[in-house]
Amino acid sequence: MQDDARVQVVSSATPAVRPRGRLVLERVSVRFDGARVPVLHDISLTIEPGQFVVVVGPSGCGKTTLLNLVAGMIRPDSGSITLDGVPVRAPGPDRAVVFQDHGLFPWLNVSQNISFAMRMAGATRQQRDRRVAEMLRMVHLVGSAQKLVHELSGGMKQRVAIARALVMDPAVLLMDEPFAALDAQTRTLMHGQVQELWMQTRKTILFVTHSVGEAVRLADRIIVLHAHPGRIRRQITVDLPHPRDFDSPQITELVRLVRSEIEDEVNRVNNEALGEDNWQPAPADHLADHTGDMGGGI
Amino acid sequence: MGWSDWVCPMPSSIARALRELLEVWPLLDGRPLLVAPLASIVRLGAGFAISLALGVLLGLAMWRWQELDRMLGPFFLGLQTLPSVCWVPLAIIAFGINERGILFVLVMGSFFAIAIALRDGLRTIPPIYQRAGLMLGASGWKLYRHVLLPASLPAMAGSLRQGFSFAWRSLMGAEMLLLVRPHGLGSLLDALRNVGNAGQVVAVMLTMVIIGMGADRLVFAPIQRRVSARFGLS
Repeated sequence: MQDDARVQVVSSATPAVRPRGRLVLERVSVRFDGARVPVLHDISLTIEPGQFVVVVGPSGCGKTTLLNLVAGMIRPDSGSITLDGVPVRAPGPDRAVVFQDHGLFPWLNVSQNISFAMRMAGATRQQRDRRVAEMLRMVHLVGSAQKLVHELSGGMKQRVAIARALVMDPAVLLMDEPFAALDAQTRTLMHGQVQELWMQTRKTILFVTHSVGEAVRLADRIIVLHAHPGRIRRQITVDLPHPRDFDSPQITELVRLVRSEIEDEVNRVNNEALGEDNWQPAPADHLADHTGDMGGGI
Repeated sequence: MGWSDWVCPMPSSIARALRELLEVWPLLDGRPLLVAPLASIVRLGAGFAISLALGVLLGLAMWRWQELDRMLGPFFLGLQTLPSVCWVPLAIIAFGINERGILFVLVMGSFFAIAIALRDGLRTIPPIYQRAGLMLGASGWKLYRHVLLPASLPAMAGSLRQGFSFAWRSLMGAEMLLLVRPHGLGSLLDALRNVGNAGQVVAVMLTMVIIGMGADRLVFAPIQRRVSARFGLS
């Protein structure tokens, strides 16, 4: 009786068209060859369609590995990863990646870079042209369609990389420290643009960064990773409306909270490293032993 | 104290020699400085095409299969240090004194250099291009055709340029030792040694240099410049 009632509630709440981009990681572990401690250990995580999830943690905690797993660039040693119920096995345009070093193709111009995935999928020139024009408007690069990659600024390159990733309408957008190489002002501008894009498209976004400010500014949900082995240390839901006022007291409070979590983590890792270090200064009498060695008889 | 024109010909002697070599020489099938460069350039075209095809295949293979490179890489690098004329005796035994013998020397003298330059260039392709290509749906042969091939263009342009200079030098050496009709510049140089006219000898050497440099400046350097400009390399 009770079960029936629950099924009814769930089915009536399910919309006619199921939204795309539900990402489920179940008990995922990764260990690199010969490493004593796994990079990621027993990670279980469900990301709902349209969520903006930011992963933060000290360097070496496995955040980029987590993203590469979802991208299909590496396979887990155990556990499963599914996107909308389909297991992730290889890289593909349904899980588009924006890399830190953009990875744009220098032999193609901006338009050709953006339409690359469509060309691979066999779209006609007309389809491509129409979609590229749309994407160029979306990332505010209409005037740069014919430019070559090396003629663009850092921020423009990342906007092209985002357009290139979104052109195939992926279920999930994966962003691997995309703004780490940009100057502070450009980064702030890019934060605004990413929020705007996210509000327009409502894509599921998995965003990796080491910047707490970036995390708090962008995320619905922040995941703080624990290092050695990589595990989920804490999850924080950010329930503030977009776009966010960066100087508001709630934001400042959240930054403090997340930063203290990460600092604890960094201290713990450093202490662990010190614990393994058995170096001791030699006692002074050992040094004195050698006084007669050098020309004592002269 | 007189200037020994047979040791170091004066510019005026060289200029006179160039004029003489543009006249008809019955023993050398016509006007030597027109006939010989043409014969050499035709040979170079054929030989360099073969050399390029083999070099690209070998370079790609050594890049793609590291075991192959580990086994054969040092061997090929060693062969590259061998002066190309050292292939002449083997060419004569294997093919005889004929067109194929000359082409053999040209190919052996240049294709290892092309393969090694290409392999080294391919190794500098950033791995992120491959990852980006896979993520954007370029798998299997599409990855080669649309990502790795264009990404290797700077390496290709460099190996093309280097391969040409190796091929030209090998051809000149081969023609000097394998006298085959139509006589090329190398054979002409050897014939003029027998005549004993230092001015004419230097005039032919000068022609070799001009053709070699001309091809580099007018063909291979511009290709490399265009590729570099596209990729935004310096």
